[in-house]
Amino acid sequence: MEHSKHIWRGAILLTAALTALVVGRHFLIPESFGEMGFYRGDALYEFMASPPVHGAPGACAACHDDVAAAKAQGGHRTVECEVCHGPLAVHVKDGEKVGDMPVDRSWQLCAHCHRYLAARPAAMPQIDLREHLDLGPQDPFPAEACLGCHDRDAIHSP
Amino acid sequence: MNDRKHAPGVSRRDFIQAAARGAAGMAVVMFWGDLTLVSANTVSGGPARGREGYAYDPTQHRWIYLVDVAKCIGCGSCVRACERENNVPRHFFRTWVERYQVSRTGRTWIDSPDGARDGFAPLVTGAEITKAFFVPKLCNHCTNTPCVQLCPVGASFVSPDGVVLVDEQRCIGCSYCVQACPYGSRFIHPETHTASKCTLCYHRLAKGMTTACVQNCPTDARRIGDARALGDEVAELIATTEVRVLKPELHTQPNCHYANLGGEAR
Repeated sequence: MEHSKHIWRGAILLTAALTALVVGRHFLIPESFGEMGFYRGDALYEFMASPPVHGAPGACAACHDDVAAAKAQGGHRTVECEVCHGPLAVHVKDGEKVGDMPVDRSWQLCAHCHRYLAARPAAMPQIDLREHLDLGPQDPFPAEACLGCHDRDAIHSP
Repeated sequence: MNDRKHAPGVSRRDFIQAAARGAAGMAVVMFWGDLTLVSANTVSGGPARGREGYAYDPTQHRWIYLVDVAKCIGCGSCVRACERENNVPRHFFRTWVERYQVSRTGRTWIDSPDGARDGFAPLVTGAEITKAFFVPKLCNHCTNTPCVQLCPVGASFVSPDGVVLVDEQRCIGCSYCVQACPYGSRFIHPETHTASKCTLCYHRLAKGMTTACVQNCPTDARRIGDARALGDEVAELIATTEVRVLKPELHTQPNCHYANLGGEAR
């Protein structure tokens, strides 16, 4: 047994290496890793926890029921309020008003949907802006080209 | 060196042996814990129920998405809503809209100015356009994901309800997944330097809400459904009507389906 110390030395080194591996692995791998698959299970619950920015449909009607009722009868009934006005989170937090809704009065807001484009479905009401405003090919569009004539009430109701 | 004293009664060999035994014992306990955790859950395909104390159970849903190309008016409301909802950095997109314009000779013009965030302006091609349509795009949440399988750190994953997500804490920003996605749905976030992508508004789904893009679509061109819910309308449409997926030849099995999609779309 004169060479047994070589075996012991090897065994000790191997044990030390294995211990380092297992202890290191234990601390490096997050606890929830593997809970549902090859990923950190906590990550899924962190995604769930983020607060929504846009409100649920009908959230605006809680306060603005008059506008919501008129809009429900109008041509824009399928358009959620937030499409034009921006997300609820800038306006209301925990049931309290935290800021004014931004109001976009530019012609671009209307043009997003109603400017004539060859690729739009034909059933979509569209206008050729230059023709409609009687502008020359180089004339700039007036800033409030649409809302100057089509006012708030016309947009919200039939 | 020679004047160093050993503690009386404990030889160096005894000490090392005792330490090795103790460490090995501890390692076995720790390793067993990790091993049972991983094998119990990955081998059997996840726990039967979600976590206690959470209203949303990811194992009870299966999200599927349906885009009706014929209904899309290219307004870009979805792109703007997504940007606001998810704080998407400017000039990066989790969803975007492409415009296809096809001439009589079959020449195709494809554009998506700034992801259609500000809609589209008329495009002068100089040719007679005989066919034109919009194609909204987002992560296809593939069943057979090219992006997740090559993530070297387990940051990209598919949730039990079929949503492809990125764990920002684990992502090292190597961008392998960005290159692997055949749909261009991923990008490296300019601030966090980690992979970022459509989460299918997971935070909203978990609260019983719909995604920001679906909610803000004025024409119902975008819809989301739950294949595990009985009598789900979207699931029924996908099952019974003619729908296509993007790049079917890649066999990624997207969970995002398209109705009335032109053959030119890719």
